[in-house]
Amino acid sequence: MNNVRKNYSGVDVLNGIDLEVYEGQIIGYIGPNGAGKSTTVKLMLGLIEDYSGSMEIFGRDIADGDISYKKRIGYVPEVVDIYDNLTAREYLTFIGELYGLDFQTADTRAFKMAECFGIKDVYDSRIASYSKGMKQKVMLISSMLHNPDLLFLDEPLSGLDANSVMVVKEIMSLLASQGKTIFYSSHIMDVVEKISDRIILINKGQIIADGTFSELQHSNKEGSLEQIFNQLTGFNEHKDIAMEFVSSFQEVHE
Amino acid sequence: MKDFKILLLLDRLRWLFAKFGIDYPIMRKILQVKLLMDSRKAPAIIGQRNKKKQRNDSNQFIQSLWIYLIIGCFMIIFIVFGDHFLFQMSLYFGVLMFMVMMSVVSDFSTVLLDTRDKGMILTKPVNSRTLGLAKAIHVTIYMFYLTIAFSGPALIVSLFKHGFLFFILFIIELIFVNILIVVLTALLYMFVLRFFDGEKLKDVINYFQIMLSLGMAIGYQVLVRVFEFVDLEIVFNLSWWHYLIIPIWYGAAFEYVMNGMDRMYLMLTLFSIAVPILAIFYYLKLLPTFEHNLQKLSSVQIPKRKSTKSLFSRGGKWICQSREERIFYQFAHKMMKNEREFKLKVYPILGMSIVIPFIILFSFLRESNLSEITANNSYIIIYFSGLMIPTLVLMVQHSSNYKGAWIYKVAPLGDLSALKTGTLKAVLMNYVVPTMLFEGVLFTILYGGRIIPDLFAVLLAFSFLTVLCFQLFTPSLPFSEPMDTVQQSQGVKTFLSLILIVLLMGVHYLAIRLWDYGVYMYLIVLFFANALMWRKIN
Repeated sequence: MNNVRKNYSGVDVLNGIDLEVYEGQIIGYIGPNGAGKSTTVKLMLGLIEDYSGSMEIFGRDIADGDISYKKRIGYVPEVVDIYDNLTAREYLTFIGELYGLDFQTADTRAFKMAECFGIKDVYDSRIASYSKGMKQKVMLISSMLHNPDLLFLDEPLSGLDANSVMVVKEIMSLLASQGKTIFYSSHIMDVVEKISDRIILINKGQIIADGTFSELQHSNKEGSLEQIFNQLTGFNEHKDIAMEFVSSFQEVHE
Repeated sequence: MKDFKILLLLDRLRWLFAKFGIDYPIMRKILQVKLLMDSRKAPAIIGQRNKKKQRNDSNQFIQSLWIYLIIGCFMIIFIVFGDHFLFQMSLYFGVLMFMVMMSVVSDFSTVLLDTRDKGMILTKPVNSRTLGLAKAIHVTIYMFYLTIAFSGPALIVSLFKHGFLFFILFIIELIFVNILIVVLTALLYMFVLRFFDGEKLKDVINYFQIMLSLGMAIGYQVLVRVFEFVDLEIVFNLSWWHYLIIPIWYGAAFEYVMNGMDRMYLMLTLFSIAVPILAIFYYLKLLPTFEHNLQKLSSVQIPKRKSTKSLFSRGGKWICQSREERIFYQFAHKMMKNEREFKLKVYPILGMSIVIPFIILFSFLRESNLSEITANNSYIIIYFSGLMIPTLVLMVQHSSNYKGAWIYKVAPLGDLSALKTGTLKAVLMNYVVPTMLFEGVLFTILYGGRIIPDLFAVLLAFSFLTVLCFQLFTPSLPFSEPMDTVQQSQGVKTFLSLILIVLLMGVHYLAIRLWDYGVYMYLIVLFFANALMWRKIN
C-alpha cells in the first residue's frame, strides 16, 4: 500500500489539511462536533466532489475517474443509513456483491461474521427489527466483508455492549498488525487513547495535533487524552456551562 | 434472494448496457434489491394495526393497478370507433402520457431525486452512471406495468379490429412513449437541479412540479383543439407547431403505417422513435452530473429566522380551541413545510386541483360564450378543486421521519384528538384555504359578487370533506407511517372522494335551484355538519 496524501483548502469546513498515512496504522481521528471529521472521510470516498487540492489513495489520485480504489476500502458511516426492509443476509450479500464478491462467498463470510458477533439468530430477520447495537454489527460486517486494505470507521463502537467493544478493538489491532490501515474517529477519548498508533486532532478544519499519544502528552504536559483535547480546542468552561444548563430549566421554580 | 421476472426480461438487453459503460451485474443487483424492498412495507412504529406479520411479499403498487385497468377498458372506444388514426391515437396517447407522467411526477419523483442511495451505494465501487440508470429503470419498470394495465384491453381489441400490423406498431410505440416520459421527466429535473441551489432549489422543485401538472393539463386542451370538427368530419391541417405536441407524433405513426404512406406524417413518425432514443443518449451523458447535483438537495442551510407572528400562526390562535391543538397545529405546519418528500408528492396534485375548474370552464366555452356561462350557476365546478383533499389527508399520516412519532406516546397527553384536529386544521390553512382564496378571487371576477356566499359554502364543504376523508381513509396518527417509495396508489380512495365531492356539489346545486336563499340554508346545514364531524375526531 502506498502513501495516502491529501491536501485541500478553500472549502469552509476544511482549511488546508495535509496528511500522510502509512499502512499498518490505526489512526485516531478526533475533534469537536463540526470540526470536519466526517467531511474528510466523505471526500476520500468521493461522496463530495467539490474540493481543491489533491488526494491520493493507494498512490492514485482519486479524482482521475477510476473508482476501482473503492474496492479496497471499507466504510462505517456515523449515521446508520441502511436499507432496513432487508434481512441481514439480503443486505450483506448485496453489499458484498457491490464490492465484487460472488453471492456464495459473501453469504458464507457474512454468516460466519454474524455468528461471531452473536447475531446469527436474526440473520434472516429484517434489519428494521434490530436494536442499535445489532445494526452497528451489521454495518461493521458490511465494511469488512471484502477484506479491505483501508477502513474508515466513524464511531464504530456506538451502541455496542462492553463485550462487543472488546471484540471490535481486538479485530482492529489484528487487522493493523496485518498491515491494514484503519482510520478511526470517535468521541470516546479513552478508547482512542488506548488503541491508536497515531492520533490526529482536528479543529475548525485544521489539524492542530498529530502524533502518538506519548508525543501528544509530551508536548502538552497533560495527563489524559481528554484533557489534551480540552486544552488544544481551548475549552475549559465545562463547569460553568453545566451550571448554566441546569439552572436554565430550574429557574422556573424560583 | 427472490428473482424478479422483469429482470430476466431486462437481461436480454445486457449487451446494450455494456456499450454505454454500465456495469450491468451491479445495476441488476441494485434493481433487484430495490424491487424487493418495494414489495415490503416498513413496519409502523405505533398503532400497530395489523398484528399478524405480513410475511408474504406483495407490491402495493401492482395491487392497485386495477384502477388503471378499468380506465383502460373505457379507452377501448378510442381504438374501435373508426380509422381516423391520427385523431384517435393522438388522443389515446395524450391520455396515456398524461396518466403516466402524473404517476412519475407524483409517485416516483422521490425515487429519481433520492439522496440516500448515494451514501450507501456510491461509497462502494459503483459508478454514478450505473446508479443513475438503475433509478431510471426502476421507475420505468413501474411505468411499464402501469402501461400494460392501462393499454392491455386496447391492445387486445386492436389485434382483432385492426390486425397484426397495428398491434405490433402499438406495442413499439408504447415502449417508446414510456421511455420518453421517464427520460424527459428526469431531464427536466436535471435542468432544474443544474440552475438552482440550496434552499431555493427545494422550492423550485415543488413549483416545477405544479407547473408540470399545469403544462400537461393545458397541453391536453391544445391537443384536442388541433382537430377541428367540420360537419362531423375531422379536419387536420399540419402546421409547424404540431411538431411540438408529442402525442401527435404517435398518432401520426399509425396514420402513416395504416392509412397509406403520406409524406406529411413520415417526419412526425420518425420523431416518435428518434426523440426518445436521442433523449436517452443525452440523459446517459448527463447522468454523472445529475447524481453530483443531487447532493445539493441534501445540503442544509441555516435558514433566516423569520418572525413567528405570521398570518398563519395568528389564524391558528383563531381556529384552534385548546392549547394542545394549537401546539400540534404549529407542529404540523412546520412538518409539512419542511418535509421534502411530502411536498414532492402533494404539489403535483395541488397544481392539478387549481387548474381543473378552469379546464372545465374552457370546455364549456366551446359550446357557448363567456357571458352566457358566467350568467348561470356553472361556478359550482369550483368544487373540483377539492380533489386535492383526499391526497392531502392521506399523505399527512406519512413522514420520512415517521420514527419520531414515539413522542406522541411519551408526551403527557390525555388523548390524541388535539393532534389530529390540529393537523387537519393546519392542512386546511396551509393548502385548502389559499387555493380557495386564489380560485375564489378569479371566480368572483368572472361571475361577480353574487357568488361570494356560495364560495363560503364551498369552503365549509371542503372543511367537512377534510374531516370525512380523514375519518374514512386515515387509520394512523399524523406523520407516523413511513414514506414508502411505492405507495399504495391512491386511485381508489381518490375515486371514492370524487363521488363525495360530486354529492356535495349536487346538494349545493339543488339548494340554489330550489330556493332563492338556498345557499344560506346549505351554509347552516354545513355549519352544523362541520361542528358535529370535528367533534367526533378522537
